[in-house]
Amino acid sequence: MTKLSEAYKPIQARSIPKAPLNVKFDTLKKIMSYKRAKYCLAFLFLIVIIGVFAPILAPYNPNKLFYDALLQPPSKEHLLGTDAIGRDTLSRLIYGVRVTLSVSVFALGITFVAGTFIGLICAYIGGVVDNILMRIMDILLALPSIILALAIVAILGPSLTNAMLAVGIASIPGFARLIRGAALTIKSSGYVEASRSIGSSHSWILRRQFLPNVTGVLIVYTTLFIGVAILDTAALSFIGLGAQPPTSEWGTMLSEGKDYLYEAWWLATFPGLAITAVVFSVNFLGDALRDVFDPKSKG
Amino acid sequence: MENVLEVKELTTQFKGKVGYLTVVDKVDFTVRKGEVMGIVGESGCGKSVTSLSILQLLDKKGKVSGGEIRFKDIDLLKQGEKELRKIRGKEISMIFQDPMTSLNPVLTIGKQIGEIIVKHEKQKGSNVKSKVVELLQLVGIPRANELFHEYPHRLSGGMKQRVMIAMAIACNPSLLIADEPTTALDVTIQAQILDLLRSLKDDMDMSILLITHDLGVVAEICDRVVVMYAGQVVETTDSRTLLRNPRHPYTTGLIESTPQQSTIGKRLKSIPGQVPTPDEYGMGCRFADRCPKAMEICNHGVPPLLMIDENTSCRCWLYKEEEHGV
Repeated sequence: MTKLSEAYKPIQARSIPKAPLNVKFDTLKKIMSYKRAKYCLAFLFLIVIIGVFAPILAPYNPNKLFYDALLQPPSKEHLLGTDAIGRDTLSRLIYGVRVTLSVSVFALGITFVAGTFIGLICAYIGGVVDNILMRIMDILLALPSIILALAIVAILGPSLTNAMLAVGIASIPGFARLIRGAALTIKSSGYVEASRSIGSSHSWILRRQFLPNVTGVLIVYTTLFIGVAILDTAALSFIGLGAQPPTSEWGTMLSEGKDYLYEAWWLATFPGLAITAVVFSVNFLGDALRDVFDPKSKG
Repeated sequence: MENVLEVKELTTQFKGKVGYLTVVDKVDFTVRKGEVMGIVGESGCGKSVTSLSILQLLDKKGKVSGGEIRFKDIDLLKQGEKELRKIRGKEISMIFQDPMTSLNPVLTIGKQIGEIIVKHEKQKGSNVKSKVVELLQLVGIPRANELFHEYPHRLSGGMKQRVMIAMAIACNPSLLIADEPTTALDVTIQAQILDLLRSLKDDMDMSILLITHDLGVVAEICDRVVVMYAGQVVETTDSRTLLRNPRHPYTTGLIESTPQQSTIGKRLKSIPGQVPTPDEYGMGCRFADRCPKAMEICNHGVPPLLMIDENTSCRCWLYKEEEHGV
């Protein structure tokens, strides 16, 4: 650089300190400093491990029928009891992790990508594009998302994949609207103008100025949505449009178990508890993540 | 001296409820190499719109509808968006009035300044980082090393403005447009920032187009000044002449309404009335309603911008009869 006037002679450049940047590691460390989030993260990690090693961990084949042990309460042989046709609940629960988690992650992926994209585009371009896309979203929002999902499955045919697709697509409008709202406040801010004044392209502004600013909203809504995705898929499975028997899926198990609530409490209770625990953990984790990603909370 | 920027008959219009309103009306001025050119006027005179027009950063409702903006040898109005992007930030950069909102709250200082270097100079990694730290030191920020990883909310207004300046000068631009850079800051910081701008200008050999409503700032830093009123240039001259010997009644009014040594103990004068909005411009001189020297002719036609002497031109009927006219 050119010579400096006396007043602004720089302090002799000390060596630039290493950034606390191994970003991922850094973030993880911060999450770990939230006690509740730490346990939730550990729990979710455990669940994933269980899903991965299901064949090793499950005591029985999830579809094996024990004709001599129908509707057995929890016992030594069947830790969480058996269902009406003699299948081991624990094994089904363990295998169910795979289905349930992949369903929610897949559905989430669709909503996340499409919703963020539509929301940002609407907010940034505005005008006619915004109007048209948002009116379409409004029409879709007028229907409860489960009805919309039903219609989509009805068109595509009942299967687990289609159920995931349906749940994902049906949740796009709400997500897009939320992101658009968050992005609109950014559009008029000084730093977007400042970014344009240094020659940023539109896509650069969207990626570097908008996206980091909506991350907080994104993360919270995403974690909330995992719960919704699990429940919606379960609902679809319940009316026979989602996971087809004999697939062990937590939602399906829950709705099957509900018929035996008086005779066999364990059938609905354990899948219910499992869903609750996962949804809770994800939500708590989301809270912590929001704090971590909000620069103002970084001491 | 060589002209860095020549603005000729720049006209900018905004879409109103009924047709287009002319907000900037045939504005002419030039910025020479290495000088500080000031644009002065009340709020609503079209100063900021003029500056945004140069880089074509107006939002959708506004458009430059005529004139020519010549930067070095390029006509900026004929450039496409892509070419303009290469000029913005690299050749001409800009700092804004409110440093509080001009930095993205979720990106670190280092990242934000680094962006412009990555974009225009295609540098990477540690090169960018040492350049950023160098820039931060250049604009007089202490602890530049540590600040690299800080978020904007930890900085004061003056510091943020310094960061904005660091961003603006990162690529050695030939022209810096400063849109009221000190308005949102308190007085001592104002002086520091002006000092900084002046020394950077000298060190880096750039020109500054400074937009302000504060004649104190003009006296402090500007070499030449354009006085704008209601979208038109009413007076152009060097700043010394402007302050000692104002020609246009509006300039006189502005100077009289600034606190000075000689006015201590006296009641400060003010210009009665308000700047007309673009839909209120009449046939005559736009300042006529507020002018203490208004004559009959003032209501009948807009006076032309006359060269009064070598350095000075003025838009007022008072000077029509004088011999140095035309």
